[in-house]
Amino acid sequence: MNQVRRLLPGFQTTSAPTSVERLKERGFEAGLKKVFSMTGEDVISHITASGLKGRGGAAFPTGLKWSSVYNAAGPTKYVVMNADESELGTFKDRVLLEEDPLGALSGVVMAAHVVGAKKAYCYIRGEYRDVERRMAEALQMLRSEGWVGTDGVDIEIRRGAGAYIAGEETALFNSIEGKRPEPRVKPPFPTIKGLWGSPTLIQNVETLANVAILFAHDTEWFKQYGTKDTVGTKLVAISGHVQRPGVYEVPFGMPLTDILEAPNLGGGVVGSGRLGAILLGGAAGTFLSREEVASGRLDYGSLAAIGASIGSGAVMVFDDTVDLKWVTARLARFFAEESCGQCVPCRVGTQRIVELIEQGGFKSRTQDLRELGLAMRDASICGLGQTAPVALLSLLDRPGLTQHA
Amino acid sequence: MDNQNGTIYASVRLLLQDMPHERGQLLPALWRVVEHYREITPELIGAVSEGLSIPYAEVYGVASFYSLLDNPGGKMPIYVCTDVMCLLQGAEKLKHAAEEAAQDEPVAVRESACLGQCDYAPAAWSGKRVLRRTTAQELVTAVKEAAQ
Repeated sequence: MNQVRRLLPGFQTTSAPTSVERLKERGFEAGLKKVFSMTGEDVISHITASGLKGRGGAAFPTGLKWSSVYNAAGPTKYVVMNADESELGTFKDRVLLEEDPLGALSGVVMAAHVVGAKKAYCYIRGEYRDVERRMAEALQMLRSEGWVGTDGVDIEIRRGAGAYIAGEETALFNSIEGKRPEPRVKPPFPTIKGLWGSPTLIQNVETLANVAILFAHDTEWFKQYGTKDTVGTKLVAISGHVQRPGVYEVPFGMPLTDILEAPNLGGGVVGSGRLGAILLGGAAGTFLSREEVASGRLDYGSLAAIGASIGSGAVMVFDDTVDLKWVTARLARFFAEESCGQCVPCRVGTQRIVELIEQGGFKSRTQDLRELGLAMRDASICGLGQTAPVALLSLLDRPGLTQHA
Repeated sequence: MDNQNGTIYASVRLLLQDMPHERGQLLPALWRVVEHYREITPELIGAVSEGLSIPYAEVYGVASFYSLLDNPGGKMPIYVCTDVMCLLQGAEKLKHAAEEAAQDEPVAVRESACLGQCDYAPAAWSGKRVLRRTTAQELVTAVKEAAQ
């Protein structure tokens, strides 16, 4: 199977990424006009019919989220694009915004129009300065074309400043509000009480770009790719021991082996040339063995059966010489560093995992690591603490992956 | 307030004068300060606190949270990604090479969490420019450039 180019512009695309010509060439202008001529209910029912799910990692049904904000009571509503892409091994939003910033931004304008938001924020990580500049250029063009501005929706770019946790949606709200980016306890969910306590529609870059291409075309077109359960395409960010690391757009349901091996995708395993394992979904992802990769497909259902998830779409590839315990130790340090310290299970737990692993507890204190991991999963406030032990637990569950090391 | 403080307060006020003076602007304000002064000192926190009418402790709490605002000494920072994918491609050696080059320069080599450039590992970032598939030689050049 091959890569698809829908979210990413086709190779034949000639217009400049931030130009009005690009807005037309990609059909986003027509899509915006279509959305502005429809009722909010109608737009939402199209999104629901498309089967689109959020692409930030949680795969929440997009139509349901829009409907919840649309129906929420309150005079002020906000839309937020989450471009605070800081998950380990994840760089798909960077590439998407570099190659086609107008898709996601058109999605923001559509979202604001539908839910009635006068103000939207694009929150981008502070290390993506080049991408931020491109986004600002694209916004400027949308402003001069009348799609963005004080009459409709005003869009402001917010630059993060180096905090992984700020990508958690409620922490991101606190960051915009000028507070420490510590996550809030949910519920209430952002759709009811988000930014400054108002109903807020927060979506990942890729989700908004999907909305834009959906209305640039139609539901039937959108459903051409994917599986019965998960419609559409997904950006995967492949890194590590492959011939062609990069971001590729593939249909849901694609065999994981194809993603690694196809000549116009990963292009095959390099390093030793023999696959050791992949880490799917980023730092909070799941290690998959060679056998699991061979039988796995990029789909939520089939991956859930082996305890994995697509997450952000990160596919980190390790040849069979990489000590995965070392990888896990690095991940543990990452989480210990990035824990915001607000809740005990995460603040203490991430530190204890580092200590246990560094003291050689991987073999001798497996049970303690498991119990600690489960306590963090159950008792942490937010996704960081809840998922920090996931990769570690997945490795403990696959003893075959660490036998050789 | 001594004279030096008075000067800093006045110049921060000038730096922030065209932005709305509200809590929601605290992070953009801190970005301006760190881009101008390269670091955020207690005096600067005081000046921002006064300028935006936000309690000192709150400004401190926010400023100290973010790694890109944390640049004690005010040297030019160069960030070398030392997360998994870049380490597999030799980031540790690159970091040492950069550190050596920076020894007598007003440049601080810092480790960074994943920079989101894994397709171009090993990566580094100068605060302005991303160095992709970088080499020791390129990093040493970047250190010398930053020192100027």
